[in-house]
Amino acid sequence: MRRLILVVGLCAALAGCGGHKDPSSTKTKTVTIAVNAPFSKTPYVGQTIADGAALAASKAAVDVNGVKYRFRIKRYDTGLSPSTAARNVRKAISDGAVAVVDEGTGVDASWQFARDADVPLAITYQGGEGLVDAAKRPNVFRIAPTDHGMAFRWAEYLIPKKLKIAVITDDSSYGQQGAKALHEAFSENMSSVATKLTVPADAPDLSPQVLRARRAGATALLVWAQPTTIASVLSAARSSGWKVPVYSSPTGEDPLVRQQLANHPDWVDGLTFASGRPTAEVGAGPFLSFQRDLENRYGVQLVGVKTPDGAQVVQPPDYAMYSYDFVNVLAAAIQRAGGTGDKKKILSALNQVTVAGANGDQRGFNENNHEGVVDDDVYFATFDGMTYRPVKDDPLSATLVPIEQRR
Amino acid sequence: MNATTGVLDETRAELSAAVRDARAAWSWTTTLWLLAFAAALIAPAVLPLSGRMPDLAQFVYLALAAVGLGYAVGLAGIPSLGQGAFLGIGAFSEALLRAKADWPLVPSFVAAVAITAGVGVLTGLATGRLRSAFVAVSTWILSWILLLLLTSFPGISGGAQGLVLPEATVLGHTLTPTDHYVIGITLVALAVLALAVIAPRAPGLGLAAARDQRRAATGLGVPVARSRLGVFTASAAIAGVAGALTVELLQVADASSYGPAMSFKLFVAVILGGARLPLGPIVGLLVISAFSNVAEQVGGLRGLPPGRLEEMLTGYGMLLVLGLGGAGLLPAARGWWRTRMPPRRVPRPSPPARELPRVESPEPLRAQGLTKSFGSLVALDHVDLELAPGRVHALIGPNGSGKTTALKALVGELVPDEGTVRVNRTELSGSARARVLQGVVGTQQATAVFPELTALQNALVGAGLRLKHDGPFRSVFRTPKARADERVAENTALGALQVVGVNDPDRPASELTAHEQRLLMIASALATEPRVVLLDEPAAGASATELDRLAGLLHELRDTGLALLVIEHNLRFVRRVADEVTVLEAGRRIASGTLAEVASDEAVKMAYLGRHNLS
Repeated sequence: MRRLILVVGLCAALAGCGGHKDPSSTKTKTVTIAVNAPFSKTPYVGQTIADGAALAASKAAVDVNGVKYRFRIKRYDTGLSPSTAARNVRKAISDGAVAVVDEGTGVDASWQFARDADVPLAITYQGGEGLVDAAKRPNVFRIAPTDHGMAFRWAEYLIPKKLKIAVITDDSSYGQQGAKALHEAFSENMSSVATKLTVPADAPDLSPQVLRARRAGATALLVWAQPTTIASVLSAARSSGWKVPVYSSPTGEDPLVRQQLANHPDWVDGLTFASGRPTAEVGAGPFLSFQRDLENRYGVQLVGVKTPDGAQVVQPPDYAMYSYDFVNVLAAAIQRAGGTGDKKKILSALNQVTVAGANGDQRGFNENNHEGVVDDDVYFATFDGMTYRPVKDDPLSATLVPIEQRR
Repeated sequence: MNATTGVLDETRAELSAAVRDARAAWSWTTTLWLLAFAAALIAPAVLPLSGRMPDLAQFVYLALAAVGLGYAVGLAGIPSLGQGAFLGIGAFSEALLRAKADWPLVPSFVAAVAITAGVGVLTGLATGRLRSAFVAVSTWILSWILLLLLTSFPGISGGAQGLVLPEATVLGHTLTPTDHYVIGITLVALAVLALAVIAPRAPGLGLAAARDQRRAATGLGVPVARSRLGVFTASAAIAGVAGALTVELLQVADASSYGPAMSFKLFVAVILGGARLPLGPIVGLLVISAFSNVAEQVGGLRGLPPGRLEEMLTGYGMLLVLGLGGAGLLPAARGWWRTRMPPRRVPRPSPPARELPRVESPEPLRAQGLTKSFGSLVALDHVDLELAPGRVHALIGPNGSGKTTALKALVGELVPDEGTVRVNRTELSGSARARVLQGVVGTQQATAVFPELTALQNALVGAGLRLKHDGPFRSVFRTPKARADERVAENTALGALQVVGVNDPDRPASELTAHEQRLLMIASALATEPRVVLLDEPAAGASATELDRLAGLLHELRDTGLALLVIEHNLRFVRRVADEVTVLEAGRRIASGTLAEVASDEAVKMAYLGRHNLS
């Protein structure tokens, strides 16, 4: 009798083991896309990347051989730590992520883990040189302006103005990467550079450093730093009555800068930053449509300051469009690869597909180029009354349509 | 041939003795921990953990660093807030050697640990004499210095991308996260085991004594500075091991992972879990990790960024620990458990009645011209003193007359401005330990037992002085010589307790009465096997019965050939025990001689005795 019970039990167990469903027979399959970003340290950047990816994931329609693919976003916080970022990528892979949308921190370490699992890793914020190399890092892609591109656009824009520039970078890793890119960009014309200063990140008062720049004969400040550093530089310069033009990295458009200077809106006026263009030759239509969709889903992103006439200022989701675009490229690649069964095929397909981006630009990669934003897509915008618009004295910026930022 | 056989026989006998010792010490908790260790080791093979192995391995390495910090905080009472820095030094030393200098894994690992230990030695030397608060501040500054150094030099730290290491391979085998986990678990088990073995033995008892009563420990010859430096270095070296292995696991080193935040996290883990128990730091780290996960889940529900609530929950955890008495969660849980299931104390067999051993080579102590000033105050002014073997010498005088200063000068706690102290013809100089080794030991004026230790362990602190094979390595590996030494020390300590009449050696010292605690201080001093014993107010607070008992004890000690100095205000007691008396007044000796001689001295009557009668 005991033997019979044992045999029956064994049969039941074996039946249980073999009884799982074949995943290919299901009609809907949920695919995870990991978003690896510094949600806790720079919430604006993390949130904007996640929102863009989530919007695309909610809209993407992939139907392969009767299987509908749904996309799910899973967030991982890097805390701006490369080792945490690398650990997150490992975790995302073990969670079954089909791709990683990454802010860029720690990619030097994490790309290999993703490569070993045939998982594409897309950088949608950082522009550091060497992060992307189609030949050496075949699974790493980027849809974001490169530091190199922005630095050379700055040199191209500022040198003809005959300014004496004080290059100010902070000691954050972001600032140091910018310092490197700017050094290369201005190396051919060092006479334009009055001085180079490295300042402490998050320092509340940079008056001594700004005074040093002034004494070095600077007639313009080019700041590549964290948002708080940019606010501190503006504060130090303007509070001393120095009406020097201030130029900055994309962090200049971070709401934090305006929030910190909310009591002195005039100090923000004239701040000019470089970034990836939100509108293209086709006009503002695609971007405004994207912005509307994003706002309908996640709400309006208020900066927290008002224009001089009392209107609320909203932040255009320019960096959200990069993660949005990558998820759409990924969806197209999955469609082309015939599903998610063979990840190698997805990687290969990513080099072959092109989609219309959120701003109307075409987004896609090829086997030789994994950069989704070309240098000419870098534009300059300047603040006036807490909102910004493209500058008029740069040919690549002057033709762009301003985005409405008042509510 | 005969010699070889002899060695083999001896080895066999020692191994058998070691097995017997291990069996005797084995308990169901030992079995439980062994099973837990085995379960942790085989978990990756039987549980679906492959995706979580990097996280688990990293946690285990962090636990190793926390256990290392437990050495400093729990064992020695050094509140180090620099463990994150040591972790970082190990990590970046390893990363730089591997990524920039292309060193293979093993040599770079050894070098990284050595570098971290070196920094640990320098930090320990710099902070060794500081008070606890300043040690915490200094080590906290070290954490900041490392962070600032790394962020200021992206060439060292690798900047935003960190310093990326090549794959870790040993003898052609690439180390997987599971390998790291197994290595980590083994190292944690060894670190915990070493701590558990050391804590109740000579090195650990010395450290515990110095932690609770530094002056008293120094007075018993505990090499406090050296021991604390050693344990601090060990703590740093363990962090170095953890740091080096962590970067090999992650294959990237970045500045933001180390420094003040990590130091604070590890310190909180140790305090939260309980610094005094070897497993406390691990429990603390588990609790913090649980906080982190809960915060992530709760934060996710509320739409907050991950990690936003972690610090708040950790803060509540610390408040909980403070509410539980500050000892930590594990000691609190153990205390609660013991109230429900009191541990069964195995009574020791009644020891055979011991006769006090005679002092082997009794020598007189002679102090000549002892002078000590504190600014303009002359505390001792050319005081001469002679303590003869087999005599009780009382040092009396009004408050502030210099009695305790004289005792401190005799035991080496104070360096006199002038004068010499000799035992026979040997001039005593140097530290208190050197004097205790020469046979001169003193007790403190205030009651100063080591409250966390049992009565026997208190006495063992004194007995530890004469051990020859009590180094940390011998203690951890329980070598035959170390075990033989321990047996001798335990006999000495038990004998000393029996002599003074403390009959429950396993009772915590904190549970003894005030008078018993003073007797225990004498027992600890006797366990150092002295020739001269200096007692500062041994009769303070004693009842009449206790005074009788104490007087009897002093007579017995005197009869063994000990030279005894008793500082005492209780003149009736002095009259009972003293053979000779020296009277101090304003730092000067105003009289010396037999009781009768001193009692009849007019100067003594004027300065001190007044209405009292000494003879």
